[in-house]
Amino acid sequence: MQEFLQLVVSGLAAGGIFASLALALVLIYNAMGLVNFAQGEMAMFATFIAYALISRGMSFWIAFPVTLVLAFGGGIAIQRIVIRPVERAPVLTLVIITLGLATLVNGVAGFLFGYVPRPFESPFSSDTVGVLGVFISYRDLGVIGVSGVVLLLVYLLLQHTTVGLTMRAAAHHPEASRLLGVHVSWMLALGWGLAAAVGAVSGIMVAPVLLLEPNMMQAIIIYAFAAAVLGGIESPLGAVVGGLIVGVTVNLAGVYVPFVGGDLQLAVGLAIIVAVLIIRPNGLFGRASVRRV
Amino acid sequence: MTALLELEGVHAGYGPTSVLHGVSLTVPEGGAVSLLGANGAGKTTTLRAITGGVHWSGDIRFGGRSLRRMHTEDIVSRGIAHVPEGRGICTELTVDENLRLGAHMRRDGAELRKDYDRVFAYFPVLKERRHLSASTLSGGEQQMLALARALLMKPRLMLLDEPSLGLAPMVVRAIFEIIRTINRESKVAVLLVEQSARIALDLSSHAYVLEVGRVAVEGDSDELKGNESVRRSYLGY
Repeated sequence: MQEFLQLVVSGLAAGGIFASLALALVLIYNAMGLVNFAQGEMAMFATFIAYALISRGMSFWIAFPVTLVLAFGGGIAIQRIVIRPVERAPVLTLVIITLGLATLVNGVAGFLFGYVPRPFESPFSSDTVGVLGVFISYRDLGVIGVSGVVLLLVYLLLQHTTVGLTMRAAAHHPEASRLLGVHVSWMLALGWGLAAAVGAVSGIMVAPVLLLEPNMMQAIIIYAFAAAVLGGIESPLGAVVGGLIVGVTVNLAGVYVPFVGGDLQLAVGLAIIVAVLIIRPNGLFGRASVRRV
Repeated sequence: MTALLELEGVHAGYGPTSVLHGVSLTVPEGGAVSLLGANGAGKTTTLRAITGGVHWSGDIRFGGRSLRRMHTEDIVSRGIAHVPEGRGICTELTVDENLRLGAHMRRDGAELRKDYDRVFAYFPVLKERRHLSASTLSGGEQQMLALARALLMKPRLMLLDEPSLGLAPMVVRAIFEIIRTINRESKVAVLLVEQSARIALDLSSHAYVLEVGRVAVEGDSDELKGNESVRRSYLGY
């Protein structure tokens, strides 16, 4: 039982990381009906920026927000320069552009920083604390706490500010929003910026666990897809719940399902994607979509 | 009365298909003007041209200044509220959020609160349903929400595209009564597109009848109502 609870808690920590990246995917999906395959690579690149800042002597807790601001600006720049000219293109074109963007960001990171995995110092101690007989590492608690705060901030921004309201309106009803004076194109750019910043959180949180290198996020993005699909790809809340479920499930499956072990955990993520798409394509929180043909 | 909105020889269309072939019309400050005509005559396209939703040539002036090459967002922020075909309600949002969306450009807190009170006096049902999803409203209530939201933009001109569409006659009468009040009391000019000519002519003082992208007839609303040949050939009643 104790082992089980410990696995659940460390699964929640992993889930917080998946949830952040999944939320980034959902933000862009909502804004333009597009899965951004470059989201993981953008997060990886932001993590390298944080690494560069920290290795030049900046403290983690300053480098972290600075990186998020830079990632936000980078996300806006990508939308303005790469996405906006093809905004009205068919979705397949956009998908291929994000795939190209992923390769490009990966290559640039490799060129600038090299492919040698680097240790990324966690800001949290690896000591553990006993709570009701369960030993939890400060590291897991820290990751859960940081992800929780970031997700809460995004929620408050979207649900309780005027900017958030206009972003949601622009995403769902661009034509009607324009008639109400909403600058729809800028709202899409804001969505990209926000997604880049939230994704960067997942990169920075996962780097101490995985070692930092250009391919670091390639497994994480699969889990994030699983989380987003499980939650219903349109639902921010669904992304968070989906992330936590995927984190815990993968962790438990690695220990309790004999043949999964450490090697097949990624396959569990893929299995979740396939199972959700077959059994409940709209996910846990998605609305059934009706499309007239 | 001075002209608030002027269209002069406006041509417009969608890609290679041209819909308007030189439409000229005027809406005076605080006036009420109907734009009538059959399906496909170009009524909706005329409204869309005004708020920059289609490419056009000719000239469109609002408050004396040309709207040429302006973006929709900037046109509406000059004081034009466009309630489009199908009402443009954001069904993912609550009633209150839809209203806040209409008011999101306003920075005059005290005035805005008064406008909220006024809007809720016109449409008490919206106050009751404030916190419900807009998708739960009936067609008539959604039309009321669209009008309320447009009013909160503090417009000088409202463009209304078929407010009667799909509504029961009693609801239509109530809604037109409120449009009349808005026009008279708040001095908001109205350009009304309608299929049902009779109810539109009762509201407006002046009317234009479009036929395949051109103004076929124009005149005082009362005159057009009284003219039997116009009624038979263009208004269908």
